[in-house]
Amino acid sequence: MSSITCTKLTLLTIVAVTIQCIGLSVFVFGFFPVKPVLSGYSGVESFRPPTCNGIENESEPSLPPDRLESLYRAVSEIPPSFDRLVFMVIDGLPAEFVLGKNGRPPSKAFVEAMPYTQSLLATGKAVGYHAIAAAPTVTMPRLKAMVSGAIGGFLDVVLNFNSQAFLEDNVLAKFFKIGWNMVMLGDDTWLKLFPGLFVRHDGVSSFFVKDTVQVDQNVSRHLGNELGRDDWKLLILHYLGLDHVGHIGGRNSALMIPKLSEMDEVVKLIHMNTVKNIENGKGRTLLVVVSDHGMTENGNHGGSSHEETDSLALFIGLKDHVYDHALSNYAQVSQVDIAPTLALLFGVPIPRNSIGVLISKIFDSLTDDKKLRALQLNSWQLFRLLQAQLPGLSCKNFPCEDFITDSGSGVSECNGSKEEMFCCLYLNAAALHDAWKTKVISRFNSTDSSSVIAAYHEFLKRASEWLSHRSTDKPIGLLVSGITAIAMSSLMLLSLVILIHKEVPPREEKHSLVYLKSWKMDEAFILLGIIIMVISMGSSSMIEEEHYVWHFLNSSIILIFIRKRLQSFESNSKHEYLNLIKGEIKRSGVEMSLLFLILFCGRILRGWHQGGVNWTNLPDVSKWLEQDGSQYIKLIQLTSCVLITCLGLFALYLMRYKTKVVLVVGFSFLMLGILIFQHVMNHQDTFASSSDDATLSIQIIYVTLGITTFAAVVALPWVKPMQSPDMCSRWISNKLTMLPVEIQNVTPIFEFKDALYMIGCLYVTFWCLLQLLLQQPINAMPVLLLFVQVLASMLTFSFSELHREQWVEGISSHSTFLSGLLMFIITYASPMLFYVSMVLYISVKDTVYSLISKDGNSGEVLKTVLGLSCLVPLSMNSVLLTAYTIVLLLMRNHLFIWSVFSPKYVYVCVGTASVYIGVFIVAVTVIYTYMVLLWRKRRKSFAFSSKQNGTLSVKLCISVLRRQSEDAQEKDHSVS
Amino acid sequence: MAKATATKDSAIDGSPFISASEALIVQLLCGCSLAFSLWVANSVYSIHLLTDPSNTLLLIWIIELPIVILLYSRYRRNRKRCTYLRAVGRGLLALPAGAAINFLGAVALGAPVTIQYLPKTVNWSLMMSVFTTVPASCVLGSSWADWRRIFAQTKPNGSIEYLICLPAHGAVIGGWFGAWPMPLDWERPWQEWPICVSYGAITGYLVAMVASLGFALAHNRSCLPKRD
Repeated sequence: MSSITCTKLTLLTIVAVTIQCIGLSVFVFGFFPVKPVLSGYSGVESFRPPTCNGIENESEPSLPPDRLESLYRAVSEIPPSFDRLVFMVIDGLPAEFVLGKNGRPPSKAFVEAMPYTQSLLATGKAVGYHAIAAAPTVTMPRLKAMVSGAIGGFLDVVLNFNSQAFLEDNVLAKFFKIGWNMVMLGDDTWLKLFPGLFVRHDGVSSFFVKDTVQVDQNVSRHLGNELGRDDWKLLILHYLGLDHVGHIGGRNSALMIPKLSEMDEVVKLIHMNTVKNIENGKGRTLLVVVSDHGMTENGNHGGSSHEETDSLALFIGLKDHVYDHALSNYAQVSQVDIAPTLALLFGVPIPRNSIGVLISKIFDSLTDDKKLRALQLNSWQLFRLLQAQLPGLSCKNFPCEDFITDSGSGVSECNGSKEEMFCCLYLNAAALHDAWKTKVISRFNSTDSSSVIAAYHEFLKRASEWLSHRSTDKPIGLLVSGITAIAMSSLMLLSLVILIHKEVPPREEKHSLVYLKSWKMDEAFILLGIIIMVISMGSSSMIEEEHYVWHFLNSSIILIFIRKRLQSFESNSKHEYLNLIKGEIKRSGVEMSLLFLILFCGRILRGWHQGGVNWTNLPDVSKWLEQDGSQYIKLIQLTSCVLITCLGLFALYLMRYKTKVVLVVGFSFLMLGILIFQHVMNHQDTFASSSDDATLSIQIIYVTLGITTFAAVVALPWVKPMQSPDMCSRWISNKLTMLPVEIQNVTPIFEFKDALYMIGCLYVTFWCLLQLLLQQPINAMPVLLLFVQVLASMLTFSFSELHREQWVEGISSHSTFLSGLLMFIITYASPMLFYVSMVLYISVKDTVYSLISKDGNSGEVLKTVLGLSCLVPLSMNSVLLTAYTIVLLLMRNHLFIWSVFSPKYVYVCVGTASVYIGVFIVAVTVIYTYMVLLWRKRRKSFAFSSKQNGTLSVKLCISVLRRQSEDAQEKDHSVS
Repeated sequence: MAKATATKDSAIDGSPFISASEALIVQLLCGCSLAFSLWVANSVYSIHLLTDPSNTLLLIWIIELPIVILLYSRYRRNRKRCTYLRAVGRGLLALPAGAAINFLGAVALGAPVTIQYLPKTVNWSLMMSVFTTVPASCVLGSSWADWRRIFAQTKPNGSIEYLICLPAHGAVIGGWFGAWPMPLDWERPWQEWPICVSYGAITGYLVAMVASLGFALAHNRSCLPKRD
C-alpha cells in the first residue's frame, strides 16, 4: 500500500498550487501584454519636440474652444486645408469592391454599380486606399482604431467591461475640444462610444440583421437637411445596410449591387453639395469614405483573413491634381493611419496612443515645408509613444544634442538594439530636416526634400510596425513555459488525488460486488463529463451557453444516481451485512426523493434566468416576476429569507441533541434571519439604499454576521461538550458498532464531526443570508433553491457511499448562476457557497472505516478527512484551467478571442482564485477544529487513561491486529 | 428440432425464446415501420421533422406503436397465464406511463416547458415511450425485478431481452448526445428542441437495433448447445 504522510501531502499540494500560480501569472502576462498606454489627451506639447528625459509638461491650458483652435493653428504651422469633414462609414465594405484586387480593377458589375465614385477615382478627385484593419474585424474595435489610431489590447476589453464609452485619446475628442459641432447619423455604436459628443444624432441599432433597407433609409433621410445646414463641422454617417446584406447573402448577394448603387448615390449627393459649397465660398469639405472591415465570401467577418481586413479608405475632395500612380494600383495603408492623417489635416494634435503614419499622398498638395512639418509632428508623437514603451529609449544613453552635432548632415548607419535603432533613425531624420531648413533659408529656393521625407518615413514605418506588433504579438516562449507549469501542477494534483483515492479502503467492493459495475458507470460518466466540458470550451457558443451545459451534465448525473438507487432498491434485503438498519427501503425512498428535489430545484434554477445568447429572449421566471411588479419579488425575497433560516435551523435540529451550544447557534441563525427580514421589509422598495437608515441596518447585519461567524468558528471547538458515543448525532451513530471503543476514547472523532457539522451549517446558512442581502431581489429565490440543493445533496450523500461524484455535482452549481449577474462577489457567490459547504460535506462524509485502520494518528485522520475534499476541487479546477489555457492559446486568432474567450479566461482565473480561497478556508477550519478538540480530548482522557493505560494499549493492539493485521505493525500509536 | 424444444422450454420457464431469424424479422419490421412513417410524413402529408416536428413525431409514434405492440406481444412472458390480448393491453397502458417518465426526464435535463413547446415535447416523449417502455411492458409485464434488471442494471438475460434492452438504451443515449449541438450558434433550423434530439434518438435506436441483433445471435449460439 503506497502511503504518503500528511506533511508530505500538504507540502506537495502547496508546491503544486504555487507552481500553478506562477504558471498562470506567466501565461497571463505573456498573453495579455500590459502595454503602457499613455493616459490623458495630447495637447499643445505635441507641437514641440519630445524632451530628452521623456517627462512632458502635462499642463494643458484650459482655453475656450475658439482660443484653443487658434492656438493649435498657430503652433502647428500647417493651415487646415478643409473646414468641414464628412466621415462616411460603410459597414463591411471590402476595398476590393471599389479599388479592385492585386492591380486588377473590380468586377464590371461593381464598377457599374458605383459610377460616380469610379469617375471620381478616375479623374483623381478621390484617392483610395486599401486600409488594412487589425483583428478582430468587428465594428466597435475598428471604429476605435480609426478615431484613436491605436490597436486596442486586452486591457481595453477588460477595463471597459461595463462602460462602453471610449476614454482613450482620439480625434473626435480633439474636435470636440476645439468646439466643433458634430452630427452622427447611423450605427448607435458611435453613441455608446462617444456619449454626449454629438449635437444631433439619430442612432440606428444593428440588432435586426435581416433588415437591409430601413437601416440605411434612417440615415439618409436626414442627409438633405444636414447638408443644407452649416452649423456642423463634422458629420458622421454610418451605413449598416451593406454589412447586413453580406450577413444575409454573402459577397455575391443579389442585394449587393443595389446597395452599392445606393451608397454611390450618397457619395454623389455629398460631393455635389461639397462642390456647390466651394463655388458659393462656404468653405471646403473633405469627404472620407471608409469601411470598418471587409467580409468573407459568405459575408462573415471578425477574423484576420485578407478578405476581412481589406477595408476601404477613400478621400474625396482633395485639391485636384494629377496622380502619377497607375489607377488600378492602389497603395496599402493601415487603418490606424486614418487618425493621424485626419488630425494633421485639421490641425489638431495627433492622439497620444496612435501608432499610425500619416498617408503622405493626402499631403501632396502642401508645400514641402508643410509636408515636412506634418511628418515631423507625426514623428514626435510616435517617438513619445516609443519612449513610453521602451524605457531604455531615454536619451540618457544617447545624449541627443551631442548626437545631432556629431552626425551632422550625414546619414549614419542604424543598427543595434531596438532603442539604438529607433533613436538613430529619429535623429537622422531630424538632422536631415534641420539641414534642409538651413539650406532653404540660405538659398531662398526650394531644394529637394525627398531624402528628408524618406528618412522620416523610414523612422515612422519602423516605429509603427514595431508598435503594432508589440500590441498583437505574444512571446511564445513565455506562453509555453506558463502552460507547462500549469499542466505540471495539474498533473501533480491529479496524481495526488489518485494516490489518496487508492488509499481509501475500497469499501464498495467489500460491500457490494453487485454495485461494482454501476459504480464504475458513475465514474465513467464523470470522466466523460470532464472530457466533454474540456472539448466544449473550444467552442465560443458553448462558452456563451455554458450554464446550460453545466445544468445538462448536472441533471444527467443526478439521473444516473437515481438509476443507481433503483438498482439497489429492493436487493438490499438479500445481503445480510447491510441489515444494520431496518428501514433500508425507507432510506432508499428518502434518498430518491432528495435526488428528485435536487433535480427539481435545478430545473427551476435553470428556468430562472435565460442567459447566454441563443435563448436570452425566451421568457423566464425572472422576467415574469419583473413584469408582475415588485410586490411579488419582495414576497419571494421574504419567503426565501424565512425558509433559509428555517432550513438552517432544521439542519441543526437534525443533529438530534440539544445542548446550549446548538441553541446558541440556532439563536444566531434566527437573529440574523430576523435582521435581514426586517431590512428587506423596510428598505427594499426605496432603491435609495444610501439613506442613513438602510446603510445603518446593513452595517449592523454585516457586523453581526462577521462577529457571529468568527466567534462561532473560534469558540465552537472549545465549548463543545465532550459527549459519550451514545449522545452522538444520528449521522454517525450507525457506524458506532464498527469502531472499537478504545479509539473513540483517544480520538475526538465524533466531537470533531459534530463540530464540523455545526460550523458547516453556520457557514452555509450565513453565506446564503448574506447573498440574500447582496443579490438583486429577483435572485432571492435561486439562493433559496441552491441552499435546498446543497442541504439535500448533503443528506443524500451522508447516506450513500459516494466520494467523488459529489464534487462534480457541487461544482456544476458553479455556473447555474453565471447568467445575468454582474459583479465579482455576486458571480462567485455560488462557487463560494459550494466551497463553504465542503465543511458540511466533510462532517457528513463517512470516514469511520478508514479510521479503523488508521488507528487515530492525528496526521492520518486529517489526511483522510481533508485530503480528498481539498484535492479534488483543486485538481478539477487545475484540469479545467490547463485545458482552457491551451484552448485559449490555440484560439488566439479566433474570431471571438476578445469577445468570448478572453473574458471567459478571466472568469476561469477568478474561479481559480476562489477555489484557492475556499480550500484555504475549509482547511484552516478543519485543522483548527481538530487540533482544539484533540487537545481537549487528550487532556481529559489523561486522567482516565493513566490508570487503564496498560489494558487499553493491549486491547487496542488486539482490535487493530484483528482488523488490519498487516498494517498493525507499523502503526504509530498515539496513545503510547 | 432444437428450436422447437427450446421454444417449449422457454414457454414453460417463462422466458420466451426468439430465434435469430425471428429477431431479424422483428427488428426489420420495426426499422421499416420507422422508415415508412418518415416516408408517409414526407410524401403524403409533405411534412418533415424540420418543418413540422410535432406532427411528424405524432405520425412516427402512431405508425410505430401497433407494429411494436403486435410484434412484441408475441414474445410475452408467462404465456400460460397471459393472453395475447392482455399483452397488447399492457403495451397500450405502458405508452402514457413511459411517455410521462420520458417527459419528466427531458424537462429535468432542460427541455422548455412553455406552452408552445408542449405538443412537441409530448409527442417526442410518446415516441420515446414507443422506443423504450412499450416493448418492455409487452414482454415483461409488471415484473419489477425484471424491469430493474433490464433498465437499471442493464443485464439482459435471453435474446428477447437484448432486443428490448439495447434499442431502448440506444434511443436514450442517442437522444442525450443529440442535445449537444443545440447551444451552438450555427443558426440551423434543426438545432431547435426537439428536432436534433429526435434525430439522435432515432439514430441511436437504429444503431442499437443492429447491435441487439448481434447480441441476440451470440446469445442463441451460446445457449443452444446447452439446451440440446
